Amino acid sequence: MHSGSCLCGAVSYQTDATPQGASFCHCGQCRAQSGGVWSSAHVPVDMLTITGPVKWFAASDIAKRGFCPDCGSFLFWKAHDEDMISFSLGSLPNPTGIALEKHIFTADKGDYYTIADGLPQKP
Amino acid sequence: MLTGHCECGSVAFTVARVQSHPSACHCSQCRRLSGHIWSGTSVAHDDLTFTSDSNLKWYRSSDHAQRGFCGTCGSSLFYKPDGADHVSVATGSFDTPTGLKLRRHIFVADKGDYYDIADDAPQFENY
Repeated sequence: MHSGSCLCGAVSYQTDATPQGASFCHCGQCRAQSGGVWSSAHVPVDMLTITGPVKWFAASDIAKRGFCPDCGSFLFWKAHDEDMISFSLGSLPNPTGIALEKHIFTADKGDYYTIADGLPQKP
Repeated sequence: MLTGHCECGSVAFTVARVQSHPSACHCSQCRRLSGHIWSGTSVAHDDLTFTSDSNLKWYRSSDHAQRGFCGTCGSSLFYKPDGADHVSVATGSFDTPTGLKLRRHIFVADKGDYYDIADDAPQFENY
């Protein structure tokens, strides 16, 4: 089981599913929302239980992003036409037992850092 | 000059000059807030000008600092230590190109176990 929470604890979640597709996202939307780089893994949406007053924001017409309205922690990403939901890996306590697999949207990465860990990069 | 904004544009600002190039913070607070790694660029208060600050919210994350975020879209934007002459502005909020270069990783003793730090920027266990 994995469980995590925002910084202030108002929003928490848990899942018994095995998280898949652990990724760093470098797109401009994730960089703006996270303040740096967002990382996440996904599970079936019906296997993630969210507790607390999560607030949803649609940064595009294909997906919505969930954050804590009290502390601002960026926790979830959900595409409207998919039955999976992504949760942030930063919201998990150590040890997570998860290993990042890839970088995505690297064509949109910030110019102020380099990617040097050797993981696959998807532009 | 740099320009920055949250994802929805409710909070937007200009930065006349930076005090120092950005740091990547791996502390558990920054990781929970950002979802992975928060990157901050120090800016003197006088060099930060808001062009819009509607729905900018502040959360006191410790007894010595607050964090600013957009109440509409949730973007994490600022880390403001009490009594300091500067505020850390989220590097991810800046329009590119920024011309900035990551100068260090901080609080790496508290990093997540699910990634490695592999670039050549210096690493500090704490601050």
